[in-house]
Amino acid sequence: MSNTKTMNVMQERDVRTRTIGQKIFKVLGKTGTYIFLLVMALIILFPFYWMIISSLKTLAEYRQAVPTFWPRQIMWGNYAEAFTKANLGDLFMNTLYVGLVSTVLSLVITVLSAFAFARLEFKGKETLFGALLATMMIPGELFTITNYITVNNLGWMHTFTALIVPFLVSVFYIYLLRQNFMQIPNELYLAAKVDGTSDIKYLWKVMIPLALPTLISITILKMMGAWNSYIWPKLVANDAAHQMITNGLRNAFTDTTGQANYPVQMAAVAIVSAPLFLVFLCLRKYIMQGVSRSGIKG
Amino acid sequence: MKVVLENLTKIFPSRDKKSGKEVVAVNDFTFEIPDGQLVGLLGPSGCGKSTTLYMISGLQKPTSGKIYFGDDDVTELSTENRGIGLVFQNYALYPHMTVMQNILFPLQNLTGKDKLTKQEMLDRAYNAARLVQIDELMDRKPSELSGGQQQRVAIARALVKMPRVLLLDEPLSNLDARLRLQTREEIRRIQKETGITTIFVTHDQEEAMSISDVIVVMKLGVVQQIGKPQDVYDDPKNLFVATFLGTPPINVLEGKVEGGKVYIGDEAVMDVAGVEDQNVYIGIRPEGIEPNPNGVLTCKLNNVEVMGRDASVVSSHEASRNPVVRAIISSDIQVDTTADTVKYNIKPHKFFLFNKETEERVYFEVK
Amino acid sequence: MVDSKHQWKAWLYLSPAIILLLVFTVWPIFNTLRMAFLNGYGNMAAMGGATFQFGIENFLKVIEYDKFLDCLKTTAILCVATVPISTTLALLIAVALNSIKPLQKTLQTIFFLPYVTNSIAIGMVFATMFNIVGYNPVEKVADTWGIINNVIQFFGGEGISWINQGSTYTANIAVMIVYIVWNALPFKILILLGGLQSINKQYYDAAKVDGTPKARVLTRITIPLLSPMLAYVIITGFIGGFKEYSSIVGIFGEKMGPPDDAGRLNTMVGFVYDALEKDRQGLASAGALILFVIILVVTLFNNKVIKKHVHY
Repeated sequence: MSNTKTMNVMQERDVRTRTIGQKIFKVLGKTGTYIFLLVMALIILFPFYWMIISSLKTLAEYRQAVPTFWPRQIMWGNYAEAFTKANLGDLFMNTLYVGLVSTVLSLVITVLSAFAFARLEFKGKETLFGALLATMMIPGELFTITNYITVNNLGWMHTFTALIVPFLVSVFYIYLLRQNFMQIPNELYLAAKVDGTSDIKYLWKVMIPLALPTLISITILKMMGAWNSYIWPKLVANDAAHQMITNGLRNAFTDTTGQANYPVQMAAVAIVSAPLFLVFLCLRKYIMQGVSRSGIKG
Repeated sequence: MKVVLENLTKIFPSRDKKSGKEVVAVNDFTFEIPDGQLVGLLGPSGCGKSTTLYMISGLQKPTSGKIYFGDDDVTELSTENRGIGLVFQNYALYPHMTVMQNILFPLQNLTGKDKLTKQEMLDRAYNAARLVQIDELMDRKPSELSGGQQQRVAIARALVKMPRVLLLDEPLSNLDARLRLQTREEIRRIQKETGITTIFVTHDQEEAMSISDVIVVMKLGVVQQIGKPQDVYDDPKNLFVATFLGTPPINVLEGKVEGGKVYIGDEAVMDVAGVEDQNVYIGIRPEGIEPNPNGVLTCKLNNVEVMGRDASVVSSHEASRNPVVRAIISSDIQVDTTADTVKYNIKPHKFFLFNKETEERVYFEVK
Repeated sequence: MVDSKHQWKAWLYLSPAIILLLVFTVWPIFNTLRMAFLNGYGNMAAMGGATFQFGIENFLKVIEYDKFLDCLKTTAILCVATVPISTTLALLIAVALNSIKPLQKTLQTIFFLPYVTNSIAIGMVFATMFNIVGYNPVEKVADTWGIINNVIQFFGGEGISWINQGSTYTANIAVMIVYIVWNALPFKILILLGGLQSINKQYYDAAKVDGTPKARVLTRITIPLLSPMLAYVIITGFIGGFKEYSSIVGIFGEKMGPPDDAGRLNTMVGFVYDALEKDRQGLASAGALILFVIILVVTLFNNKVIKKHVHY
């Protein structure tokens, strides 16, 4: 250790070649990184590209042996046909209705519960909260079976109620919002009490504005959930009057193989995918934040 | 290995895009660090001392200027080819590796003719660990060590590749007061034993003064003064250096030179024949003034703090730039605490004049 | 703080959540357990006044039912194949993304896109990419080979039937793996990139001072420091994999298989829903419980293996 002079003093020339070598290596490394990322990005984007160009082709062009990568004749008509064939207008309205009603009710219930857990003192609070969290470990399929029976026995089959009510309470959202509320200093609440502010007014004026990002995340995830839900609606409300968008899409185009009219099918898929894309592009920050915290799809 | 910095300058592009103002972190720094010395880069935060250290390490590239290790120009050389050891402020010990694995890590990167056998690596790791006295802790994870022990591991990891230059970034700032005293002696010992040229950065003047062979005082990217700690303390070049060094801080009073005498208020406190008339700041080290019934400077007496061996006379003067004028004296000396005022005598070699505009030192002959 | 006024107020605020949870979460836990242990339970029959014996017949029936084992096999294959592939790819992409500055945000957005899609809808897109139209199996010709086969043929390979009549189980599974990996990447990239960005930069500076090669930085520093996040995406990946269902519906339709072999790709969850819809809730409950136990065991096993390699 004491003899540092043993460290070889590098020759000037040696040093220079090493430096140049490193620079070349660095540039190559960066280029490689970009090539890798761009190739992966293309793979990720390819299905979207294929969906759009296929949706604009004529059936004859689509069925050509050698595929074209840009439609020769742009068929906007496919979209109109898809819209009427899958009855997308009604499906949109149904889905939007279910999505909006469940989001609003869910937000009210979540805010009230999170407020009680974050700010009020009552006997058994910790136990109750722990019990709620424990239910999160059980897979949803276990609940679905009994809920199917319950909905049936309540006479809710083929109603919007069946699509909305069973999923109004999300323990996870209560948890998320409670954490958010807890970060707001308790003194604010006590000060409001001293001023004679009511709980509801305090919630509305202080806590909700402060927890807005979380509430927006919940809203988006809830709407996405309605948009993407498939299994539950299929079980309890798969009739024309109450059909949700995903089910309607799947039912309108049952054949994924063989001779179906694929351009129209792709047009329908594009129409169904577009709203989520638009929402995502506008609210990217909230969605990515919400997802990275929740880790739950929809 | 001597380290030479030649007109070293670092300019950071502005963080605020609108104003577009650049930040000159280090401005035209020229200095030669002799082989085998312990050098402290000292200054308040934002003075460019860390930037200087990172430029020497190669983690940051200078905007202009050159760095030499011995006679090698290393300015363009990347970090790993410089043969330096760097100890980070937060140690940057890999949390998932044991102490042993942390120390071995740099050795395992060596390739080609520098490649070591397993046994050589272990020997070197144990030597480094023994040097910093952590050879008992080799199987622990960093999270199981105290701050001081982590610091030692970080030093061992930096030393194990036998660096040409050892760099330490705020090595003591994360330790509590007691450990700090102990660790700084330790750094001194290790540096003396290895003889490696060592440069460390600190904002704590006491720390720098106590162990450095040479200190470099910096302010806003500009070197203020370089020298042996005692020399810089006894002979500050400007008001900043005088006020930055020393605890308790130097007393600073406003005054003027007139007709070869220094006046504070109406009192002539020192003969400085030959000095031009001007407004000045007067710096007097606390150990440089002594209560004396025939003293030349009269202050309002506040109180006397006795701290064992020493006593501190706390007084005030309307010309003082500090809240108080403080004198450190032996506690044997009796001071009449009931008096309203206190008179001080001033030791000429603890008494400095600075021009009021430039804040540069005004020299005078001591008679 | 604890006074009676607070007490009733708290319960008032909590009441909607608690009532709904009691009906749709707590009751199902008990009821599903109950149904699973009532031999041959069916809701319609129960409403009609039938009674059921307590026993484990449902579980035996599930296990004896040969299609159940097929479901288990398909589920397990999909899990074991997709989790390592998607995790490795996501890790590489996240590391690459973390190392660049220009285009980072744009690429990050692109890599997240599959997340905001409907897995049924985009499954239909994947189906068209693999689908052969106008196929004559004897002469092996088709009008449209599907873009994937076109690419294979472009590189000199031979087009095969992926999802059509006459396709093999292996080919079907391959399609599912491609789709599931594509679908699973965004979430994993998001989590891993978040993890990478929270690693203290000083570790990399320290490694640079020591001249650590890039590959070694990745294996010895980045991956160990990222291990909690990796563990998280692996465990959630396995849980999601065992619940795989709608991505198969997306590609194969509700037939859950190619036209000539419906149900070939059915999964555990598919099995449970089939039984449920056929009013065999006892069987469905037993199946769901078995699924729950499998997920639990796999998660515990994962936890145990991962604990050896996670470093905090």
